Amino acid sequence: MKVDHINAFYVAIQEIFKLMLDLDVEKGELRIVEDMVSSKDANVLLGITGDLKGSILFGFPKHMALEMVNIMSGVDMDEIDTFVSSALGEVVNIIGGNALTSLSNYDYICNMAPPQIIVGKYKSISMASERSLLIPLETEIGKFDVNVFLAEAKNIN
Amino acid sequence: MMWKERYRIGVDLIDDQHRELFKRLSNFIRVVQNGEPWDEKLDEAKDTLGFMQEYVVYHFEDEERYQREIGYPDYEEHRKIHAGFKAEVDEYVRLMEEEGFSEETMQELAARFMTWLIMHVGRADQRIGEYARSKEG
Repeated sequence: MKVDHINAFYVAIQEIFKLMLDLDVEKGELRIVEDMVSSKDANVLLGITGDLKGSILFGFPKHMALEMVNIMSGVDMDEIDTFVSSALGEVVNIIGGNALTSLSNYDYICNMAPPQIIVGKYKSISMASERSLLIPLETEIGKFDVNVFLAEAKNIN
Repeated sequence: MMWKERYRIGVDLIDDQHRELFKRLSNFIRVVQNGEPWDEKLDEAKDTLGFMQEYVVYHFEDEERYQREIGYPDYEEHRKIHAGFKAEVDEYVRLMEEEGFSEETMQELAARFMTWLIMHVGRADQRIGEYARSKEG
């Protein structure tokens, strides 16, 4: 995984959070994790194919997921229902689309599967048994995690 | 309140219509999300969806006319984005007419509509305002 790959996602997260939620995002200390587990209340998984292959997993705690949708809709939410989970899926999908556009500037042409939304903690996500990078992120409405596993397609088989 | 001042593009006609569109979307979301039993509010949900759909068509036509009037260079691309979104919403409604207006599909459509509109007004439409200002300056 190269810094450019990670950065494309981080920059897209910052840009879309500002645009859609009017929130600044701060990055914490990156760390390597052995496997990708959906450990938060609302998780969104993006599958990447093409010149880079892998997965990006966003995990939001419940209070933050509800607050994000409240900021966008102006309506108070009290549970992670289809409206909330679909809205989170859409936000992550837009972030992924932006990140892939910026990766294409580095000549990495990738596609993205529709986001998969996993509600509920500790469901295992089957994927390559490679280590992934965990990026802890913080906003004024809460902390969330993004797990990134991306490999150059020519290096895996 | 869904409308935010940062969504303004600086063209009164368009900003007023965007405000109205966000208002109708907000009414739809409030009905879908108010916690009342689905069968009791289904008619109201369908009505608010109809009001929103109707206004989308009206607004897209006006905004496209405005773009032509000022000679907006990305008019054709913008028109296609409008047409694509309208077709997507129409397809949701067509499917629900066939399979029934389920609460989950309406919630999904409300979420899709909300995020699309925020992104579209927050980014794509801002460029219309920038172009209009550049012509004045």
